[in-house]
Amino acid sequence: MAKPMPQEALTPSVRRGLNAPSAGESGKSVAFDPFRERLQQILPPLAVFVLFVGGWELLVQLLRIPPYLVPKPSDIVKAASDNASNLLTSVSTTVMEAVVGFLASVVIGTLMAILLALSKTIEKSVYPYAIILQTIPIVAVAPIIVIWFGAGLNAIVIISFIISFFPILSNTLIGLHSTDRNMTNLFDLYNATKLQTMWRLRIPAALPYIVAGLKISCSMSVIGAIVGEYIAGIGGGKGGLGYAITVATNKLHTPYLFACGLSASLVGICFFLLINRLSRWLLSSWHESEMRH
Amino acid sequence: MSLRSLDENAAAAARSAVPGSGRQLVELNNVDKIYPNGTIAVRQVDLAVSEGEFISFVGPSGCGKSTIFNMIAGLTDHTRGRLSVLGTTPRDARTHNEIAFVFQEHTLLPWTNLLENVTLPLKLRGVPRKAREEEGRRALELVGLGDSVKSLPRQLSGGMKMRVSIARALVSRPKLLLMDEPFGALDEITRQTLQDELLNIWQNDKRMTVLFITHNVFEAVFLSTRVAVMTPRPGKITEIVDIPQPFPREETFRSDPQFGEYVRAVSDAMKFKPAAAGERE
Repeated sequence: MAKPMPQEALTPSVRRGLNAPSAGESGKSVAFDPFRERLQQILPPLAVFVLFVGGWELLVQLLRIPPYLVPKPSDIVKAASDNASNLLTSVSTTVMEAVVGFLASVVIGTLMAILLALSKTIEKSVYPYAIILQTIPIVAVAPIIVIWFGAGLNAIVIISFIISFFPILSNTLIGLHSTDRNMTNLFDLYNATKLQTMWRLRIPAALPYIVAGLKISCSMSVIGAIVGEYIAGIGGGKGGLGYAITVATNKLHTPYLFACGLSASLVGICFFLLINRLSRWLLSSWHESEMRH
Repeated sequence: MSLRSLDENAAAAARSAVPGSGRQLVELNNVDKIYPNGTIAVRQVDLAVSEGEFISFVGPSGCGKSTIFNMIAGLTDHTRGRLSVLGTTPRDARTHNEIAFVFQEHTLLPWTNLLENVTLPLKLRGVPRKAREEEGRRALELVGLGDSVKSLPRQLSGGMKMRVSIARALVSRPKLLLMDEPFGALDEITRQTLQDELLNIWQNDKRMTVLFITHNVFEAVFLSTRVAVMTPRPGKITEIVDIPQPFPREETFRSDPQFGEYVRAVSDAMKFKPAAAGERE
């Protein structure tokens, strides 16, 4: 009995709510205004951001929570600007390490995937160990790396490499194995060698998979670099974000800790957007995933 | 090429299209194909294909059409009997690039343009770029796509993709063209246009031999000099129907009473039970 009542009560307002704006939109044909469309895309998340940050600032202020427990957004901004040069050095150090680790994982990951894809025997004998290696937690591996390679840049880059390597390897391998059978048959019919089929067919066909792997790995490489710095960090002026985080924690300098964390996430986002660009450039002309309809 | 020489070509094609003339290109003598698990795919296949013929294979699914193709293409070995292609083994003929293929799926590489797609067989063979592109343009010209060498496959309709696929087969100037239900996925109008174009290309070439798989009896009769009718369990050629209609075959041939009679002859041959076919032998 109770159910029809609210439905009846809601219907007119829902109708009004749905029809009124859509009629207005179609009348003005806003769909062709790219600026307006862009704005409509950005506005909702922006509104959430403003509400969240404003609410945070207000709540912390009203409840008088000390900044070493929960800093206000304004505290974080102040901490970042006060230590701008330190923060910038930390960020650039981390970026450098992550980029080197990431590039190493791209080169070695794809090359290894190609090698595994070329030979079933190699794949069967090597791939399980790659999986096992992947399941060992990085915090357990990192100290061993430090023991072997010494604290510092080498260890950090290697840790970043290890953590970002597997997504590229596994994705590329899946991609190389998912070539259309009709296509491989065609290459066989035209007497293509294994390497020709690899280079002209399997690698281009695997590109969407490889790019998906890159997208995962690029943010992983930043995390890897920070974990590496955390464990094997170089101190002093050249320390990366991971090192800065340890120092800020020890000093209970919470606003700066937040600033470091947010910077790290910003670096990850930039990496991801860059790879997204690359993906669009590589695939937009032919692959569904990047086509604009 | 002048109109007159075109006519001569057509006449030459019609001449060489008479079964038995010209040299023997493909020969199957009592060929069996038995899979390791004991399945008999085809049995006692006898077929002699002369240069310049256009032979269609019709029959229901599972009658071994594709098996015969795969054997001629050198993709699977035959179990018993004698099989020679271009005077040598199928594998040899294929590695010398004398055989080309067209399938129902266009199998074009989506990331590269039509010219690159069409010249792929030459690229795999290491033909230099300049010669490759020249041949590629010629082949695309043949299928009426000379203007869109730089287009990507996804910009094309199904019929155009099939044209590109045919151009890719023609690019290496094959002696033997194997087509496995190439027009099976196309609509009727596109299918008929492509049939006409294929016949034109075949006639102008004079020396190219086409083996063509289809489910469609009308298509088989319209295109072929001979139609090999196949029946399943075990797969075998029950009858070879001659279509002595001269080339070029015009659109009017489709509505010719004679056309209907050929179609009936082929359809009748398809209805024979294996036992009945045995009696005829």
